[in-house]
Amino acid sequence: MEPPNLYPVKLYVYDLSKGLARRLSPIMLGKQLEGIWHTSIVVHKDEFYFGSGGISSCPPGGTLLGPPDSVVDVGSTEVTEELFQEYLSSLGESLFRREAYNVFENNCNTFTNEVAQFLTGRKIPSYITDLPSEILSTPFGQALRPFLDPVQIQPPGGSPVGRPNGQS
Amino acid sequence: MPHVISRKPRMAQSGRPSGLPADKNISSSVTRVIVKTAGKQEDFMIADDTSVRQFKEKLSAHFKCQMDQLVLVFMGRLLKDHDTLSQRGILDGHTIHLVIKSKCSSRSLAHSSRKLLTKEPCHWDRNTEGNSNGVYQPAGVSHTPVESALLVEPDASKMHTQDLEVGSLEYIAQMLQNPSIQQLLSNTDLMRQFISEHPDIQQLMQQNPEVSHILDNSEILWQTLELARNLAIIQELMQIQQPEQNLEHPLNPQSHSGLETMPGGDNVLGQSYVDYNDQMLNSSQDPFGGNPFTALLEGQVLEQVQSSPPSPTPPQERRDQLPQLPTTRVIYTSSCGLSSITSASVTPNRVNHTPSAYATTISTKSRSHTCPIQQLAAVLALPSIELTQQPQAEDRDATISLDSSDQKLEDDLQPSDEQTSSQITGSMMQLLLNNPYLAAQMMLFISMPQLSEQCRQQLSTFLQQTQLSDMLISLANPKASQAILQIEQGLQLLATEAPVLLPWVAPYLWGLGWLPAPSCSYPDTVPWAWDVPDIVEPKHPECCHKSGTVQQRLQSLAGDPSHLPQAPEIRFSQQMESLQAMGFGNHHANLQALIATEGDTNAAICKLKRSQGF
Repeated sequence: MEPPNLYPVKLYVYDLSKGLARRLSPIMLGKQLEGIWHTSIVVHKDEFYFGSGGISSCPPGGTLLGPPDSVVDVGSTEVTEELFQEYLSSLGESLFRREAYNVFENNCNTFTNEVAQFLTGRKIPSYITDLPSEILSTPFGQALRPFLDPVQIQPPGGSPVGRPNGQS
Repeated sequence: MPHVISRKPRMAQSGRPSGLPADKNISSSVTRVIVKTAGKQEDFMIADDTSVRQFKEKLSAHFKCQMDQLVLVFMGRLLKDHDTLSQRGILDGHTIHLVIKSKCSSRSLAHSSRKLLTKEPCHWDRNTEGNSNGVYQPAGVSHTPVESALLVEPDASKMHTQDLEVGSLEYIAQMLQNPSIQQLLSNTDLMRQFISEHPDIQQLMQQNPEVSHILDNSEILWQTLELARNLAIIQELMQIQQPEQNLEHPLNPQSHSGLETMPGGDNVLGQSYVDYNDQMLNSSQDPFGGNPFTALLEGQVLEQVQSSPPSPTPPQERRDQLPQLPTTRVIYTSSCGLSSITSASVTPNRVNHTPSAYATTISTKSRSHTCPIQQLAAVLALPSIELTQQPQAEDRDATISLDSSDQKLEDDLQPSDEQTSSQITGSMMQLLLNNPYLAAQMMLFISMPQLSEQCRQQLSTFLQQTQLSDMLISLANPKASQAILQIEQGLQLLATEAPVLLPWVAPYLWGLGWLPAPSCSYPDTVPWAWDVPDIVEPKHPECCHKSGTVQQRLQSLAGDPSHLPQAPEIRFSQQMESLQAMGFGNHHANLQALIATEGDTNAAICKLKRSQGF
C-alpha cells in the first residue's frame, strides 16, 4: 500500500487594520492588541476563507488584502482535495452559510479554526481566536458592540465555494 | 447540538480477547469519542479495540447512510477500516471528524430540489381534494386539468430550478410566473376553496368571524389575487411597509410611485378604508383596554396632517370606530389594489384624513388580531410580504410608515418639520417609555443649538399633553437641562483633574446615560468615557463630540438613523457633497456611513465600499 499523501496546511494571517490597531488600541481600548486578524487556510494550493459572502476560495494571497502579514504552519493532512470540497460544502450549508456570518461570534477565524481542526486536529493560535472576547471585554468594545455587530467583512477577490451549483 | 450517548458493551460481542478489565486502564475499554460532522457533534461510547470498520457500521446506522459514504478523519489522518481506534491513538474525549460523502454530488442536488417541488403540488392537491368542508362548489371539470397541469409543470420546471437557490423567494417568484399557476390564481372559486379549506384559515375563521367576510366578498378576493399575481405591486407595498429603508426623507419617491401604480390609488385607499370599516368592525370586539397613547397619537397626527381643515365629524366617527378595528396590514395591503369596491366619489379631505386616522389605529392594533390575519397572508403564499414581523416593534414602525405614506397621498406637500416631528414623536414615545434615562439624554440634546427652536417647543408642549412623567417635563425646562449640562461639564473637568474621584460619581454617570445602561456591568469602566475625548479634542468641543456620540447611540437605539435628519444632514453636508462627487450615488447610504464615522469622509468611503459589496 502506498503511503498516504500528506498535504501541508498553512494559516495565512492578515491584519485588517494595517497596523492601526497596534498603535491605537492602548488608547481606545485600554489594552494592547497587535492587530485585527483575518485568517484563511491554505491547502491544496488554494486559499479558503469565510466572510459575509459565505465560504470563498482564491489563489493563495489572492484577495485584495494582498500577501499575508504572517504565515503559520498548522501541520499536514491526508485529506484529499475532493474530500475537502465535500467537507466545505457541508460546512457551507450548516455552520458557515453566508447568513450565519457574525463578526464577533462566527467569523473568518471561527471558520479557520474549524477547518484547521478538521484537517490536522490542531487549533489556530489563541491570540487570533481570542480577539473578539478581548475587544468585548473592554468598555469601549461593549459600547461599540451595537455598531460593530452588523459589520460584514468580505475580502474581495475570491469565488464562492460549496454552493449548490457546484462552483469551486 | 444534540448529544447522543449510545452505550453498547462491545466486549461481549466482539470475539477478541477482551482481557482488559475495566479498572485496569485509566481510559477504560469503553471510550467516549466525539464525532463531529457538518456543523454538529455527537458523543459515542465505544470500546477501545473497536475497529474503524465496526465504528463505521455504527455510524452509518446512526446517520442513515451507506458505509462507503463515511470518511473518518482524526488528527488530519484518514482512518482506514482495518485500524482500531486505539491504534490510531484515539482516546477518551477525542474528536473524530466525519464527512458524509454524497453518493453523487449532482444527484444530491437534484434530490433536494425535487423534494421542494413535490411539496408544492402536494399542498395544492390536498386542498382541491378536500371537498367536505367546501362552502363553494369546485369549478368542475376545469379543476382537474389545472391540477394535473400543476403537477406536471413543476416536474418540467425542475431542470430550471437547479439554478435557483432552493426555497428562495426567486423560486416562488418563478412559480408565480408560471402560466398554469396564474390560471389557477385567477380562478376565484378555486382559490376561495383553497383558502377556506386550509386548516390555518379555518382556525383563523373560528377565532375571527370577520375574516370570513373577506372570503365571502368575491371582489376582495379577486383583488387580492390580482395583487398576488403582480409581484411588482407587492414589492412596492413592501417598501411602504419597511420604514427603515424609506425614511431617508419623509417622502420616499419610490413608495410614492408604488401607490401611483395602483388604479386610482388615492381614492382607493380612502374608500377602501371606509368600506372595511363597515364590513369588519361591526362584528369585532374592542381589543384595546384603553391604550393611553391612542388618543394622543390620533391627536398628534391629525393635528399635523392638515391639507385643508377637515370636517370634524368624519374624523370623529373614524376615531370612535377605529379603536375597535382589528384591521391588519394585510387588509391594508390588499385594499391598496382594490379599485372596484366603491364607486362613490371621494373628497380629497376624506382621503387625507381617513388614512391618517387609520394610521393611528393601525399603529395601536392589538397583537392577538394581528397574528391570525398574518396567517391569512401567509397562506395566500405571499412570503414576500413580511407580516411575521413582531407587532410590538411594528406598531411604532407602522406609525412611521403609514404617516409617511399619508404624506404621499396628499397633493400639497407638508412642511418637512411637521412630518419629521410626527415620525419622531411616535418612535420617541416608545423610547421614552422604555428608558427614562434616554429621555433625560434627549432633553439635553434639545437644549443644544443644533436643533430648531420650534422642535423644542413642540416637544415640550407635546410632553405636557401626554402627561408624561414629571421628570421629563422638568427636563424640558431649558434651565434644568442647562443645569444638567453644567453638571456633566463639571464631571468632565473632574475626570481630567482628578480621575481617582470618578468611581465615586459613577452611579450618577450611569444615570446620565454616558454608559449604555443595563448591559454594562463594569464599575471600573467609568473613566474611559472621559479619556477618549480628552485625548482627541480640547475642552469645548468635547461636549459636542461626546453628545454627538451619545446622540448616535440614541439614534441607533431608536432604530431610526434619520431621526433628526436636519442635524446630521446639515453637519455632513460638505462631506455628502464630496461623496457624491466621488461617485457614491446612494444618498441614504452616504448619510449612514457619515453618521457612523462622525463625518470622517475617508472612513465613510471605506465603509461604503465595504458595504456596497465586492
